[in-house]
Amino acid sequence: MEAAGGGEAAGIAVHDFSGQLGEQLVHFHAMRLRDSLFLWVGAAPALASLAVAMCNPRDSVPVSASLLGDPSDPAAVSLARRLARKTKKQIFVSYNLQNTDSSFSLLIENRIKEEMMAFPEKF
Amino acid sequence: MAASPVVTSRQRAAVVRGVPTEVVCTAFSNAVLVVATQYGKMGTLVYLDPGRAGGGGLGRPALATRVLLGQDEPLVHVCAKNLVAFVSQEAGNKPVLLAMALKDKTVEGIQALREVIRSCQVW
Repeated sequence: MEAAGGGEAAGIAVHDFSGQLGEQLVHFHAMRLRDSLFLWVGAAPALASLAVAMCNPRDSVPVSASLLGDPSDPAAVSLARRLARKTKKQIFVSYNLQNTDSSFSLLIENRIKEEMMAFPEKF
Repeated sequence: MAASPVVTSRQRAAVVRGVPTEVVCTAFSNAVLVVATQYGKMGTLVYLDPGRAGGGGLGRPALATRVLLGQDEPLVHVCAKNLVAFVSQEAGNKPVLLAMALKDKTVEGIQALREVIRSCQVW
């Protein structure tokens, strides 16, 4: 899409998309790596949090950790967990929105899933 | 909807001293994300913060390195500083989030990889 230097299918795929969720325009920046995915979510181009999650054969809840930003803010961790469960990949999420209520995060998640359906090769 | 992406990224695939390597650099307003991988994965995550370092004083400010995920050993800090200290400086002393998964950690390998990162300048 906008990746300079030509992205071959086997390598890292960078994919940008956005969505009007309620009153807010939310931007997404996804990077597909081998068996893992980095996903940035935000309205302005700041990087303020980072969480990681991956599935665990011994537990139905993916294991997760907050790596950067406020560890008491569960938004990034919870989105990473949900995506890990859906994709079975290691997921890195940077969530940079003020609005963290559950109905809004559901909108975010649905927008991501919609894009995953439309462009499975990008995830 | 296809709004233009809010974050700029550039990627490049190169063979560095015989090792297939991928680099993706992404510019955020408050940080730069650099992914440098020879395994196709995120690998070790290191956060380099010029603001947090004490010292500095005369000359260029010191850069504090913090391993967010992966093995926290001296070589990781050394490699990280060698790879992306210049990114932080050139970006106006912004923090850098580095994801590195390297097969070749020799001095020559790091130097060659640094030039690939330089060619993906987004800062």
